[in-house]
Amino acid sequence: MARTFKVLSVLLTYPDGEIQAAASAMREVVLAEDLVPKRVREPLLELVDQLGTRELYDLQERYVLLFDRTRSLSLHLFEHLHGESRDRGQAMVDLANLYEQHGLVVSASELHDYLPLFLEFLSTLPFEEARELLAQPLHIVSALGERLRRRESVYQWVFRGIEAVAEATPDSETLNEILEAPDDDPTDLEALDRVWEEEPVTFGPGTGGGCGRAQDMLRRMNTGNPPASAGSSRRG
Amino acid sequence: MSHLLDRLNFFAKTEVGRFAGGHGVTTREDRRWEDGYRKRWQHDRVVRSTHGVNCTGSCSWKIYVKGGIVTWETQQTDYPRTRPDLPNHEPRGCSRGASYSWYLYSGNRIKYPLVRSRLLKAWRAARANLSPVAAWRSIVEDMETRASWVRMRGRGGFVRADWDELNEIIAAANAYTARKYGPDRVIGFSPIPAMSMISYAAGTRYLSLLGGVSMSFYDWYCDLPPSSPQTWGEQTDVPESADWYNSGFLLLWGSNVPQTRTPDAHFYTEARYRGAKSAVISPDYSEAAKFADIWLHPKQGTDAALAMAFGHVVLREFHLDRKTEYFDDYCKRYTDMPMLVRLVERDGRYVPDRLLRASDFPDALGQENNPDWKTVAFDTTTDRAVVPRGSVGFRWGETGKWNLEARAADGTEIDLRLSLTEDGRHDRAVPVSFPYFGNRKHDYFEGTDHPDVLLRNVPAKSVQLQDGDALVATVYDLFVANYGLDRGLGGEHLANSYDDEAPYTPAWAERITGVPRGHIVTVAREFARNAEKTRGKSMVILGAGLNHWYHMDMSYRGIINLLVMCGCVGQSGGGWSHYVGQEKLRPQTGWLPLAFALDWNRPPRQMNSTSFWYAHTDQWRYETLEVQDILSPTAPEGPWDGALIDYNVRAERMGWLPSAPQLSTNPLDIAEKAADAGMEPQDYVVEQLRSGALAMSCEDPDDPRNWPRNLFVWRSNLLGSSGKGHEYFLKHLLGATHGVQGKDLGATGQQKPEEVVWHDEAPEGKLDLLVTLDFRMSTTCVYSDIVLPTATWYEKNDLNTSDMHPFIHPLTGAVDPVWGCRSDWDIYKGIARKFAEVAPEVLGVEKDVVLVPILHDTPAEMAQATDVKDWKRGEAEPVPGRTMPQIVVVERDYPNLYKRFTALGPLMTSIGNGGKGIAWKTEREVEALRRLNGAVTEEGATKGLPRIETDIDAAEVVLMLAPETNGEVAVRAWESLGRTTGRDHAHLATSKEDEKIRFRDIVAQPRKIISSPIWSGLESEQVCYNAGYTNVHELIPWRTLSGRQQLYQDHLWMRAFGEALCVYRPPIDTKTIRPIIEARADERPQIVLNFITPHQKWGIHSTYTDNLLMLTLSRGGPIVWISETDAKRAGIEDNDWIEAYNTNGALTARAVVSQRVKEGMVLMYHAQEKIVNVPGSEITGQRGGIHNSVTRTTVKPTHMIGGYAHQSYGFNYYGTVGSNRDEFIIVRKMRNVEWLEDPESSTIVQSVGG
Repeated sequence: MARTFKVLSVLLTYPDGEIQAAASAMREVVLAEDLVPKRVREPLLELVDQLGTRELYDLQERYVLLFDRTRSLSLHLFEHLHGESRDRGQAMVDLANLYEQHGLVVSASELHDYLPLFLEFLSTLPFEEARELLAQPLHIVSALGERLRRRESVYQWVFRGIEAVAEATPDSETLNEILEAPDDDPTDLEALDRVWEEEPVTFGPGTGGGCGRAQDMLRRMNTGNPPASAGSSRRG
Repeated sequence: MSHLLDRLNFFAKTEVGRFAGGHGVTTREDRRWEDGYRKRWQHDRVVRSTHGVNCTGSCSWKIYVKGGIVTWETQQTDYPRTRPDLPNHEPRGCSRGASYSWYLYSGNRIKYPLVRSRLLKAWRAARANLSPVAAWRSIVEDMETRASWVRMRGRGGFVRADWDELNEIIAAANAYTARKYGPDRVIGFSPIPAMSMISYAAGTRYLSLLGGVSMSFYDWYCDLPPSSPQTWGEQTDVPESADWYNSGFLLLWGSNVPQTRTPDAHFYTEARYRGAKSAVISPDYSEAAKFADIWLHPKQGTDAALAMAFGHVVLREFHLDRKTEYFDDYCKRYTDMPMLVRLVERDGRYVPDRLLRASDFPDALGQENNPDWKTVAFDTTTDRAVVPRGSVGFRWGETGKWNLEARAADGTEIDLRLSLTEDGRHDRAVPVSFPYFGNRKHDYFEGTDHPDVLLRNVPAKSVQLQDGDALVATVYDLFVANYGLDRGLGGEHLANSYDDEAPYTPAWAERITGVPRGHIVTVAREFARNAEKTRGKSMVILGAGLNHWYHMDMSYRGIINLLVMCGCVGQSGGGWSHYVGQEKLRPQTGWLPLAFALDWNRPPRQMNSTSFWYAHTDQWRYETLEVQDILSPTAPEGPWDGALIDYNVRAERMGWLPSAPQLSTNPLDIAEKAADAGMEPQDYVVEQLRSGALAMSCEDPDDPRNWPRNLFVWRSNLLGSSGKGHEYFLKHLLGATHGVQGKDLGATGQQKPEEVVWHDEAPEGKLDLLVTLDFRMSTTCVYSDIVLPTATWYEKNDLNTSDMHPFIHPLTGAVDPVWGCRSDWDIYKGIARKFAEVAPEVLGVEKDVVLVPILHDTPAEMAQATDVKDWKRGEAEPVPGRTMPQIVVVERDYPNLYKRFTALGPLMTSIGNGGKGIAWKTEREVEALRRLNGAVTEEGATKGLPRIETDIDAAEVVLMLAPETNGEVAVRAWESLGRTTGRDHAHLATSKEDEKIRFRDIVAQPRKIISSPIWSGLESEQVCYNAGYTNVHELIPWRTLSGRQQLYQDHLWMRAFGEALCVYRPPIDTKTIRPIIEARADERPQIVLNFITPHQKWGIHSTYTDNLLMLTLSRGGPIVWISETDAKRAGIEDNDWIEAYNTNGALTARAVVSQRVKEGMVLMYHAQEKIVNVPGSEITGQRGGIHNSVTRTTVKPTHMIGGYAHQSYGFNYYGTVGSNRDEFIIVRKMRNVEWLEDPESSTIVQSVGG
């Protein structure tokens, strides 16, 4: 069992006094377990230090702005995978089963796909099993890391850290799909237009035409099922 | 012989054997694929709920829950069946509702209580050493500290906090405000209780116990049609959608049934299959237009002209050239048409004055009780003036005569004369002045050059009155003359042919509206012909498209006239179907005590929102409309001076409209001051107001003593959706960054108001604290100081009703609220608990002096019968409840506020309950509730009273007390009404006397309501619910001056503003274009278009419009529709970004260029969210505004009338309305699309995390 997962979980939790006080303990775990490679560890520990030293209000404001209010940075994994699709409910139910199989029930008032919660779950598993499970939502983790990098946020290093620990490469196709969709560079007008462009409708069999954006959305919903889904019970 | 050819080589039969004598078959199919489906449809529970949005659906849904997670919803199909020959109600539900389960877990959900960090930091620092109220005082009185969070509104900076701490801040702020300024500086805004009435009641119960102010919504949303109270004395009452099926002719006018009444639209289709004809009137080719046999597309805003032309045709063909027996009889019995109007001479011409009253006659026609309030008509048999029963004077002070029987006061049978020309009974025909407004110049509307005053001869008769001889005419004769019909009596601008261009012929209407005269004649003729053959089964379904104009009353009254002259109102399958946002709160009288704490204190403080926001967001400081712009050329003598807000102030001090705040002195201090002066508080207030020592707050809304200080917003997106004059809210009320472009009256040097103090420097940031409860981060939340996350519609228990069907429906908690969310009931309960803890620091048991306007449906509604006297100008004595507001002292027990919140108070037993002027006892229901909910066992102020702990307890209170859900109460209520009318009505409910609907019953299946006298329709095995049905069939009078459908409005202000009778009035000129169009011009072409904001398909107001799936179905982000012709003029192509602006502000959107849109208008669907996909505006340099950024509300004096029977104040019943469609905008293509920030984040200024 790796306590590094627990640290990563805590780092993505809403900062409070207790977390502030635990900064040095977190630093020790990261250093002791040595699961996070050095290039990531340094900046990651910078975040740990910020949590330990900066004014709590600023830390909290930053957190609320990033993770509570910015939809494309939501820490709920299925937000990025299923969005507002109906599959979300079932995927969540599957995830609950997975936790239950490991003798855990969610006691916090949180959804099952909340990333810090998932990381905490991993911290209770044998490392190899945890690592294998972690590979599944990796494309989401990777996408969030990328978006945070564009915002030059120090929080990107938590996600880089998760990726590094997983020692796997995210499925690039799904990663690109997520990255393509909502979080375009707001100043890139062409990209912006592309998102809202309505493709011309072509009638007839096999053309796969129709309303472009709806088709995109439908495609994503339809492919949103288990193989790519985070922590589905199929491989659990 | 080989069987090769008979045998299958490649296939085997699926069947392998039979059993059970051949009845069963064994097959070899692989059925593992079914598991996928089985698993998909497995659930732990299925719960009934609905969506508490501001829509009239109230559709039943099954919510599926698996492992504590809502997985999806499907439509319920178990509504009680209808009677034979009537289609069933289901399926009900639409794409919007079907997407809701996704919303529950959406990334946009607010998960934890949020607060501005600067406020929290200041609070904690102060609270470290101080008690709660002292802590709040220290931070709010330090201007720099206060500014630290006020200036941050709309700019992010939120942190999470726990409930207990935030409740303490709110409670301390409320207690401080009550002590320092008065409890009426604590304001609450929440709309449309019918959609989740317990959640609404939670907040208003808290406010009402506190002495805070509950704000109206129906008038503010401009969904209230003032024409309804004007005509019927009823806020709004309409047929249920099933009754469309009974109609023979459906006229859809400015209503888009398939789009905005999706779950009801099937009745419309089914009626068409049954053979009903349908005409659709809509300027654009709407979804409804394709259902039409004929589609008329008048220029937007000219509907009154069309309605008048319809009326012209019907009067000509069905009343004058040929008398239609049914129509004639209906008009005689159910309308004020036979009533007599006094004609007053002015310069040799006559002007119609007020209705004649019994008191005008030397012997008061034998009337001792309220002769001032009894109208008079001629009886054909005796040819004498008689006093028909049913007028308001019979309603109060005597019993048994308030009915519509064809009898005079003394009981003799009468047959009233409609027209004085019958049998040549008139003495002479005299020239009467009718105002004409269709000639007023408007830059964008066509007019005609007829004179201001049209002289038309009217048959008149001389009568001997107390003050001498007078000429009188019937309403009918004035009414016909007003429509411009030549009856051979002489006069100007009268028509014999439909091709004459006199107002209001079809030819005239063609010029104004653009609708071909032939179409007008056809529709009018068919409408009336069907009504004649079916005895009134012609119906008009009308909507916001007409009601959102400044002169909406004219379009509406034009339509009402048409319905009334065809005898359609109160008939099954006929009548007036105004479906805009009212969502009938069916168990209303059961709900009122809970919602406004009437079980503890009466009366509550209620305020009409339009006047409130107009004053407190300082929109009046920018008023461009002058009284002279709208005054009638036939106005009676009077100064008629001042600004629009002056009329509002006069209305407030005469007791016509409510006030909030009420007095510039704290109302908690007045009783003591009165005692010091040795006076009763009432006398003291009158004396001090008269002397000027005490002032009403409305006279100086910008004085810090009169600012609203704390504002709660819940179940509403006030700033994002309904806030007309959005930018003025931001500037003056909130003190946030704003985009107001225009200058105020001070800067432009225009005439300033007379009654209101002018401050050169207008306040910015009046509110100390803005608290919003919501489940999603709305625009209002973004500007709030504290945001409390509420439960969604699948996470709480509540009640929901609609005007579209007769069922009462629950919202049921399928799952517990996720994250830190709580139901509205629990949130306010929490605040109440904390308040009771905190309050004793500064508040104990206090005497609160409350001003109450003169209320409709009370004896006080007979205030000033024949004239308008203002005490402040010395024209009358200040008499509470007659010439000024009523003054009531209410005892507030602040330390026991929480205990009172959670128990049903003693007034239900000692006084009883009632509504709409009908009162009954409720001891039995209180006792039943004590046994059902349990009694309070804790020692103290509420021991032994029925508990109201949970939301279900609260729902049971509503259901037990309401006649609509408790048959025993219904019978009692009908009996009570029967005493006033002298007729037996109880038979309408006796069959249901034993029926008591409980919360669990409606969870099992939606239940039909029981017929009650609170409403004018019946729900039975014979008829569908239809408004006015009991007036026509039970002879219960309408609650108007004459007791009949009031087509002649005789109040002085109605006559002054030219609306005694219905006339065409072009839209007003809001003057928002000229001051800015030149200044902002560059090389780009600009076009000026009328700005129309209808309801949309992909959302309900602003709920759902930030749902990406819904946006996907539309174009995503804000769009406006413009016509091809206009687009060409401005060089705009489809999908271009455009900017729209005027002096009120600016907005940005994409253009949809479409043939369905009429030239000259731009259409932007109501309430698209500011927080999704909105780029910056080049005009304001800020985030492009919302649709209300280019609007500003303008009030109308005729809506301020009070103390006059039907025109008396009632909460959401009468008052100023927030119209917005007269607005024009300048449209041009955008050069640069500048996203001021990340498009999917909701902050206005986003700091990059570092």
